[in-house]
Amino acid sequence: MSNGTTQASQDMPPSGGFKPFRYERRLPKRGPSGVGMFAICGSIMAYGWYRVYLGLDERRELEREKIWSRIYLTPMLIAEADRDEYRRRCAAVDREREIMKDIPGWIPGEGVYHGKRYAPDTIANVPLHQQPGFKKE
Amino acid sequence: MVNPGYKHFKGEDWVDPTPPPSDLPHVEEVGATGAPLKSASFVIGSMCKEYNEDFMLCKDEDRNPQHCLREGRKVTRCAIDVLEKIQANCRDEFRAHWQCLDDKNQMFGRCRVPEKTYNECLFKSLGWKKDIPFAPTNKPQIHERTPLA
Repeated sequence: MSNGTTQASQDMPPSGGFKPFRYERRLPKRGPSGVGMFAICGSIMAYGWYRVYLGLDERRELEREKIWSRIYLTPMLIAEADRDEYRRRCAAVDREREIMKDIPGWIPGEGVYHGKRYAPDTIANVPLHQQPGFKKE
Repeated sequence: MVNPGYKHFKGEDWVDPTPPPSDLPHVEEVGATGAPLKSASFVIGSMCKEYNEDFMLCKDEDRNPQHCLREGRKVTRCAIDVLEKIQANCRDEFRAHWQCLDDKNQMFGRCRVPEKTYNECLFKSLGWKKDIPFAPTNKPQIHERTPLA
């Protein structure tokens, strides 16, 4: 207990002061810097996207080649199909004329629509004796 | 021809054997299958350009098959003529290319090796060069490039 007989003593810094205190982390530097790693990753990705672009370009050109080869063949195929369709249509009209010859005022091959625009037959018109389910009497 | 599920419909039942009307001039059909046609398509497209465009303009006027029979005959004769020219000049190269197309699912990209000799032969004998419309002009066309690995 303090009664005035004893002198209070205070801890003082050592003469010359404290040594500087190391409070930072000091890790050894290893590997590339952050910017370097960013640049490496970026260049790898850029090369990858370049290859993707090349692939897309090749695919687009292959598609273009395929489409134009089909376009070039279209007139020939349509011409062939048209001749066949016209031949079948003429045969069907002839058959209709033969079947309906006793009906006065019947126009063979008359369209069911009023307009002039061509409408193809919705069902295949084939000779009756060839139609499925036809039985000879 | 038997479609699955339609075995009771015989394919020959749907054939109409009636010949075409006799007032129409006779024309041979092309008769080539898919792969030879695809192999010759660019040649047909450029050599029969006038006939093909004439026919398609005619079809644009009227879709009735009767309307464009004359133009259609010209188209077919021109296609037959081109195929005969190819057969006469580049028979083996043509055959190698279309058989490759037949094997490779009709993909041009997988038949560049036979196509190269085929195109060279066509250029030498007919002076014909393959040109894909609307392809970018600042780089070689797809059939002249090295395919990506």
